[in-house]
Amino acid sequence: MTRLKRNAAAFGAAALMLAACGSAGQEDQGSLYGQLRQIAAPAVARATGQADQAAAPEAPLSAEEMAARALAANPAPLILVGLESSGSMQVMAMVGQNGNMRTYMTPNEQALIIRSGMLTGTKGLGHDLSVAEVEGTAALIRARRAGQATRTNRYIGGDGVERPLPMNCTVALGEGKNFSFAGSGWNATQVVETCQGGGMEVQNSYLVTASGQIPVSRQWIGPDLGYVTIQTIRP
Amino acid sequence: MHRRFRPLLLTSTALLTASVSALGVASPTQGQTLNSYGMPGAIDTPTAVAPPEGELSATVSYSDYATRTTISFQPVPRLTGALRYSKIDGLDPNRDTLSDRSFDVQFQLLNETQGWQPSVAIGLRDFMGTGVYSGEYLVATKTVTPRLRVSGGLGWGRLAGQWRRTDYNDEGGDFNVGDWFSGDVKPFASVEWQASDSLSVLAEYSYDDYDPEVDDPSKERPDGKFNLGVNYRIGDTYQIGAYTIGGNVFGIKGSVALNARKSAYPSGLEPAPAPVRPRPAPNADPDGWSGAWSADPTAQPAIQTALGDALSGEGQVLESMALSANRAEVRIRNNRYSQQAEAIGRTARLMTRALPPSVETFVITSMEKGVPTSSVVLRRSDIERLENTASAHIAQQAQIIDADPRVAGLVYSPGIYPKFTWNLRPYASLGLWDPDEPWRYEAGLQASATYEIRPGLILSGTVRQRAFGSLDQKGPGDLTPDEYEALGTDIDPDTGIPRVRSDSRMYTGNTSPTVPELTLAWYAKPTETTYTRVTAGLLERAFGGVSAEVLWKPVNSRLALGAEINRVRKRDFRDAFSFRDYEVTSGHLSAYYDFGNGIWGQVDVGKYLAGDKGATLALNREFENGWRVGAWATKTDMSAEDFGEGSFDKGVSISIPVTWAIGTPTKRRVGGQIRSIARDGGVRLRVKDRLYETVRESHTSNLYDGWGKFWR
Repeated sequence: MTRLKRNAAAFGAAALMLAACGSAGQEDQGSLYGQLRQIAAPAVARATGQADQAAAPEAPLSAEEMAARALAANPAPLILVGLESSGSMQVMAMVGQNGNMRTYMTPNEQALIIRSGMLTGTKGLGHDLSVAEVEGTAALIRARRAGQATRTNRYIGGDGVERPLPMNCTVALGEGKNFSFAGSGWNATQVVETCQGGGMEVQNSYLVTASGQIPVSRQWIGPDLGYVTIQTIRP
Repeated sequence: MHRRFRPLLLTSTALLTASVSALGVASPTQGQTLNSYGMPGAIDTPTAVAPPEGELSATVSYSDYATRTTISFQPVPRLTGALRYSKIDGLDPNRDTLSDRSFDVQFQLLNETQGWQPSVAIGLRDFMGTGVYSGEYLVATKTVTPRLRVSGGLGWGRLAGQWRRTDYNDEGGDFNVGDWFSGDVKPFASVEWQASDSLSVLAEYSYDDYDPEVDDPSKERPDGKFNLGVNYRIGDTYQIGAYTIGGNVFGIKGSVALNARKSAYPSGLEPAPAPVRPRPAPNADPDGWSGAWSADPTAQPAIQTALGDALSGEGQVLESMALSANRAEVRIRNNRYSQQAEAIGRTARLMTRALPPSVETFVITSMEKGVPTSSVVLRRSDIERLENTASAHIAQQAQIIDADPRVAGLVYSPGIYPKFTWNLRPYASLGLWDPDEPWRYEAGLQASATYEIRPGLILSGTVRQRAFGSLDQKGPGDLTPDEYEALGTDIDPDTGIPRVRSDSRMYTGNTSPTVPELTLAWYAKPTETTYTRVTAGLLERAFGGVSAEVLWKPVNSRLALGAEINRVRKRDFRDAFSFRDYEVTSGHLSAYYDFGNGIWGQVDVGKYLAGDKGATLALNREFENGWRVGAWATKTDMSAEDFGEGSFDKGVSISIPVTWAIGTPTKRRVGGQIRSIARDGGVRLRVKDRLYETVRESHTSNLYDGWGKFWR
């Protein structure tokens, strides 16, 4: 019996930890003004220069320094993520794994969904990639094989409807590279996936190891957010 | 027992749309320019240009002739509708300024093609009411080069320089069908040249000679038939312009446009949900997989507490739960997400984290007002397998069924009932379209409290204290409040009609605290497909009493039927808890139908508050994200003469989810009704939280509309 109880309690504890990350539960009680102010805060801070003052004391860390700190603080698989459109660089920790799909989150609960190194979703960024169906191109990329394949990215439109953006992609190989990051050495080949669809052309690039791992990549999220760079800190 | 529902999925636009247009890819540089009537056009003349579907724009134009404030909306791709409030000096014999409401519609008959075919539209301007702008047209528009657009057409009424003389003693407001396309017909034409991406130059030829306006001797007649103007666009949202009518009269205009399909943060800014936790292999947790845990009486309370806490972090309340070795039903109240499908998707993932592995069937039941409105049945293995795939995949596996009103083994979460909530916030109310003043306002502080005694039994009330405003107390007609009170009757002595709304301003301007409502409501669900409501107390500002309603609405049905009966008495103008003499029984039979493609309608037939009998027809265009624009009209056996100005009750309602504008999740909405002057015919009781809109959010059609956010 005690074993069963412990099980139930363990499930409970897992759910509880999640709750602790959520926002306060006062729904529809806060004023509209409060919500607007919260949203406007970053812009206001920029305009008044307060953001600079607040940020000034802490010198920006290099990627290696961020990786080293994260390795010491968090035992989970980690990635270093840079969103090019905002110029931000953040460490994300794996919070869940379902088969080969991993969910990485920032402390403020924005998430990237990655399947075997391929970006297949984002959450909490406002113009998220709902899902990328990449089985075709992923097979080529992870096998380091040139060829043609399709992918379909899906996005939620302003009306709340999920719509597909089908793309035709060409996978090409570049040169091999040896590099090290966050204490790991990698031997990888550059693979470039060029995709066209919806009147756009985008280019995802990956460094792929012989075993099909993707330690470093630059992948396109969508028309509004642009590209994200992903570096593996701890696989 | 429950039939699995599929047909609607195939017709649901939300799940099958295969277009990337909403991604903001490549849009034409030349948008629609709005004319001084706030409709697609040049200066005074129309063009055959349809704004994008879902576009809501507000335009104000000002010239010596008039100030026109227009709201126009594009409910479907080919139809443009507009509602206008104009002030014209010196026209109305009874007042200094004529305040005129007018309605326009324009329908796109043909769309422009690459070859020779122009776009062609037919339109009615000011087709109801006093008809000072009354005119009809057929217009064709051709884009000659990407920067040059020409239009030409035939006009009747004002567009042919033929003013249909208005009878100001008439009540107006009816369809003037006999006048449409009657009298002289004259051509009109316009050219729009796009000088830069944002600036365009306009020229037009128009027969409108402003005959009624120049009745006022201080107004100049236009010197000619050529009008010139410029229009400057700032993004897709703003337009400002200046123009001249005939070269001697000048005007300016500005407009702002919103589009239901364009949101600042389409996928929302809410934090990512907790991911699915796949179950361990059976040999890693044999007890969990065997279901033996369910024999432990402490298991369910521990799981329910943990899941309830996790859900409350998601803005949801776990009201109750039934748990067996292989099935779990959770009953949730969603307080955060404007799309119920998102609340259900998040709950499903939290369940994978909280429930032992042997639980394979998840039933997520949506609760509204303590009553279960629908159940979504999911297989846990589907949730594990389909996490973060296209939302249509999980939609095909999910069953949406009528929620069972009485489920065996349902355990309420501790501390859910009774529940007391309250809030204190500022309020502002706006009175529009008073003939004497275009708008009046009042602002102050409002305290609301709700006490949920047991599931479905809700005591709630609101107290308001006005701080300041221009909304003052006023008697009906020309009576002062004191004169009206001195009459000591609620019956209009001239017509014998009870005053139910025409004296509504007697309730405003109170500087002491008021009680807009104080009610005890009881919601119940006697069978799987019927819902009931009984509300008693101070139901609205002007009436108190008892209101009872029953609704039949199977979860998958496009059709719903309802009935309502009210016994109410008119409230005192100032004293919160006393009543006046007028007492009435009103009631309606209602039918609601979801036509698909985001259009739903409602017909109510019955007896209204003044004792008149008739019907109300309402049509709503509701976008998947919850944006809604509707129009309604009520015609009763009260004669147009007795009804007074406007002839019958009609209006427009707008409701916009706040999430659409700000990105953060909330169920809050903004909007309101724009109606003709408050009259006594065709008036329904304003009891809050009627059943249809309470239950439909979690029914199949709305769930599918929001299903794209299941994995969000």
